[in-house]
Amino acid sequence: MKYQYVPRVKRKYVGSYEPKIDAKEKAMGRTKFFDDQTIKAKNPRMLYCSIMSAPYANGKILSMDTAKAEALEGVRAIIRFDDPEIMAMPPTTNSWTDTAITPYHRETVPKWFDRKVLDNTSRFVGDLMGVAVAADTREIADEAIRLIDIQWEVAPAFLEVEDAEKLGAKVLHPEANPTGNQLPHRNDLDGGVSVDNIVVDKGDVEKGFAEADAVVEVDETFGGNSTQGTLDYRGCMIEWVDDKIEVWTNHYYSDQVRMHLHDMLGLPLAKIRVHNTNCGAHMGKWNMGEQNFFLLSAMLSKRTGCPVKYKMNVHEEFAETRTQIRFKIKAGGKKDGTITALDFDGIGNQGAYNGVTGYALTGFMNAEGIPRLFYPVENVRMRSRNFFTNRIPGGVFRSVGNVQQNFPLGQAVDQLAEQLGIDPIDIYKKSFGNSYDPQPNASIASVLDTASEEFGWKNRHATDAGPLIDGYKKRGMGMTLHNQWHAEWQENERGRIETTIRVNPDLSVILNAPTKETGAGGNSAAVMACADNLSFLGTTPDDIKWVSDGDTEMGLRDCPPTDSVVSFILSECIVGAALDVKRQFIERAAEMMNMKAELLDIADGKVYKKTEPWIYIDASNVMMEDDCVPITGRNVRNNNKTVTGIAYGAWFAEVEVDTETGKVTVLDLVIANDVGQVMHASGAEAQQIGGVCIGMGETLTEELFYDKRTGTPLNVNYIDYKMLTMADVPEISPILLETWKGASEYGACGLAESTPTGASTAIANAVYNAIGIRVPNAPFSPKKILEGLAEKEMKEAQK
Amino acid sequence: MNTDSIKLCINGRDYVLKVGRDFEITETLSTVLRERLGFTGVRVSCNQGACGACTILLNGKSALSCMMLAVEADGCDITTIEGMPADDPIIEAFAKETDPGYGTAMQCGFCTPGFVLETKSLLAENPHPTEAEIRDGLSGHVCRCGAYQGIEHAVKKVSAAVKEVK
Repeated sequence: MKYQYVPRVKRKYVGSYEPKIDAKEKAMGRTKFFDDQTIKAKNPRMLYCSIMSAPYANGKILSMDTAKAEALEGVRAIIRFDDPEIMAMPPTTNSWTDTAITPYHRETVPKWFDRKVLDNTSRFVGDLMGVAVAADTREIADEAIRLIDIQWEVAPAFLEVEDAEKLGAKVLHPEANPTGNQLPHRNDLDGGVSVDNIVVDKGDVEKGFAEADAVVEVDETFGGNSTQGTLDYRGCMIEWVDDKIEVWTNHYYSDQVRMHLHDMLGLPLAKIRVHNTNCGAHMGKWNMGEQNFFLLSAMLSKRTGCPVKYKMNVHEEFAETRTQIRFKIKAGGKKDGTITALDFDGIGNQGAYNGVTGYALTGFMNAEGIPRLFYPVENVRMRSRNFFTNRIPGGVFRSVGNVQQNFPLGQAVDQLAEQLGIDPIDIYKKSFGNSYDPQPNASIASVLDTASEEFGWKNRHATDAGPLIDGYKKRGMGMTLHNQWHAEWQENERGRIETTIRVNPDLSVILNAPTKETGAGGNSAAVMACADNLSFLGTTPDDIKWVSDGDTEMGLRDCPPTDSVVSFILSECIVGAALDVKRQFIERAAEMMNMKAELLDIADGKVYKKTEPWIYIDASNVMMEDDCVPITGRNVRNNNKTVTGIAYGAWFAEVEVDTETGKVTVLDLVIANDVGQVMHASGAEAQQIGGVCIGMGETLTEELFYDKRTGTPLNVNYIDYKMLTMADVPEISPILLETWKGASEYGACGLAESTPTGASTAIANAVYNAIGIRVPNAPFSPKKILEGLAEKEMKEAQK
Repeated sequence: MNTDSIKLCINGRDYVLKVGRDFEITETLSTVLRERLGFTGVRVSCNQGACGACTILLNGKSALSCMMLAVEADGCDITTIEGMPADDPIIEAFAKETDPGYGTAMQCGFCTPGFVLETKSLLAENPHPTEAEIRDGLSGHVCRCGAYQGIEHAVKKVSAAVKEVK
């Protein structure tokens, strides 16, 4: 019997172990994704769009001749970078979507207008730029692009921060920094102009180190090597008819697509209809690089009079990675578990464009690290600088920023605990916590105690002191802790949520709670909450049809499945919609029963007189014996801004290291998350299990290789880029806890986003426990493990 | 091989497809199944045989439909996910997997048809695979949501149910 969580409040459906509402149709392959809705057989007039993928990291188009491409049979239209309509478009930002509908002129995430719709300059190999073609097939469109004669001016590529800093390195974004490749500091992120790039200086770090019993230093880099690896590639089909456009896409945020097209094309919102379909797991993708394909497909449709489809291919899908961040951390502590000082030196390699992940480096320390993770640490300093290079841009990848922060920090805590001769758990209990909840933090204690017990943490041996297995293998254990994401009060910028519940005459229900199902399961949670809140009708999840088609014309506000908030934010809104249903039910029954509504109540499918409950009518007769017009309950709700503190998660891993081949195998992984309220137990555990699979992949096998001279990424395909399969993953034990509590009816917080965060750190610490080496960056390829072992052997021999 | 047309028996129904009219000779089997005939449960992702999403049954055995031309399947029996009955024990097991500690057997569902058909092929050959055989048998498929634990558990349960019948 595996661990089974105990709900704080026993509810009928919310928090239960139930199948996903769409599990059957998914297993039967009937779920329609974007590509399924836009097949040629259904859309015979459809044209295919291809956009040129830059062959040079630092290329500039000097001249372009499209005559041969235009002459190719099947080519219907070509749009060039110097097209007047393109030239008139303002620059766009690489990180265009987040949680809120964001018009061009406003910010809900820090914006950098560093991208043109169709640029004449490339900044990484694979940059979509220069020219777009619409043709009868994608193959013809691709062939047309190959036929275009281009004169390029090519500057040397640089992939590393050291080279980006060099005098003479091409300045990639003069609009952001005219004199170099360092991203400027911003007031809203890190206080603006700084001395020596110090962006955080709390307390007195030098005093803190002087008071410490031990001081350790780590130098660890995470990111830049992985991509989201989604199987459902991004795309859209757009048809421009007269003064209106209709869009089909797998983008997870129909309202934002509509707003962006409105801003850039000048069409009224009412004349842009965006349909979004089911979307394959996105893992944070859909935040950068899509704007141009929407706009170019729209323009090509306008010029050809045909619907135009653009869908990325596997190479194009690789155009986003996790921002690479190197942290040199110095940490001082006392034997009682007090961290006396933390000194961070952060260096970011942002790649070719800046997503919101400039925020991941600097903003995270101010917005996440200090107030939410290690608030009790009195002395904290952080130096931070982020650079543009010709790498694939750092974007939004599940656990954005948190992994890069936890990976070095969790290793520093592990190192400090070893130096102090104490358990790292004692440091987490003493020195970790937030500015909102009392210390010691109850959520931290609950995740650490439950997970360490389940894992068998007490069996951990000292560093490199385990037995040699079969003569060449060594085992070790490691752990870490991080804050959870996005309680309701942290969702200030998301904006109002809309839901409707339409009860049919036969009491079956149509639930309109829009979100794009990407596997996040917000739809299942919403249906369970709807059933619970309609218990007065005896509604079960099977009675409810969730509206799966996103539509900006017929639907309600779309709630994007980001930050995992969709698991509860729709449900909180459904509470009010169900009350509206109840009120209307009673009003209609009152009319039928010829009584005042105040005298009536409804329960167990019966509307009855409160004082004489034997006088009642069946709810199923309220519409069926009247005009058969459904009852629609509606609610519009903004988030509850009551500050309720935050919850935590813990990761424990055991690894086996083959000291001959350098292979690291994860044997056991326990993940514990305090989520306030489990909305759907099976779905939540699936997120925990799947999230650590992402973390394990990034730590063990997922690695992008570049040709250093040209900056060309070499393995942008799923054969040479190694994602984990069933053969690679250990048994994972998910633990759900409800210690912390948020505001409102459910009081949950986000879960899925955070789940990969600590997997890498726990594995890194386990590797150290096994063989006594710290690998300076992920992934832990056999080569790096063997190099580490050789270096250690040399050092020991020198002693 | 007839060069003008091919005959595919898909999910028990014959389709005679004429080259140039119904499909092009250069088209892969996955393209013909999806784009020409509308079997969209055949998912195409990597289009290079690495992800397993386009798996079908070819004469009862799993095959990657993105890695062969439609003309190569001339005369073959093809099962796509659309040909699996709703009450198939494998479909049921994937849909109903909710045991505490295992999560679910899918999240977004994009890769699921490939896993279901691979399981069908595996169990047809080996009704009672060991854990290692299940992991090996399904290791040609990527589930980016990482629902491997739920999938493996579902496959074990289907296999165990077969045992009880015997």
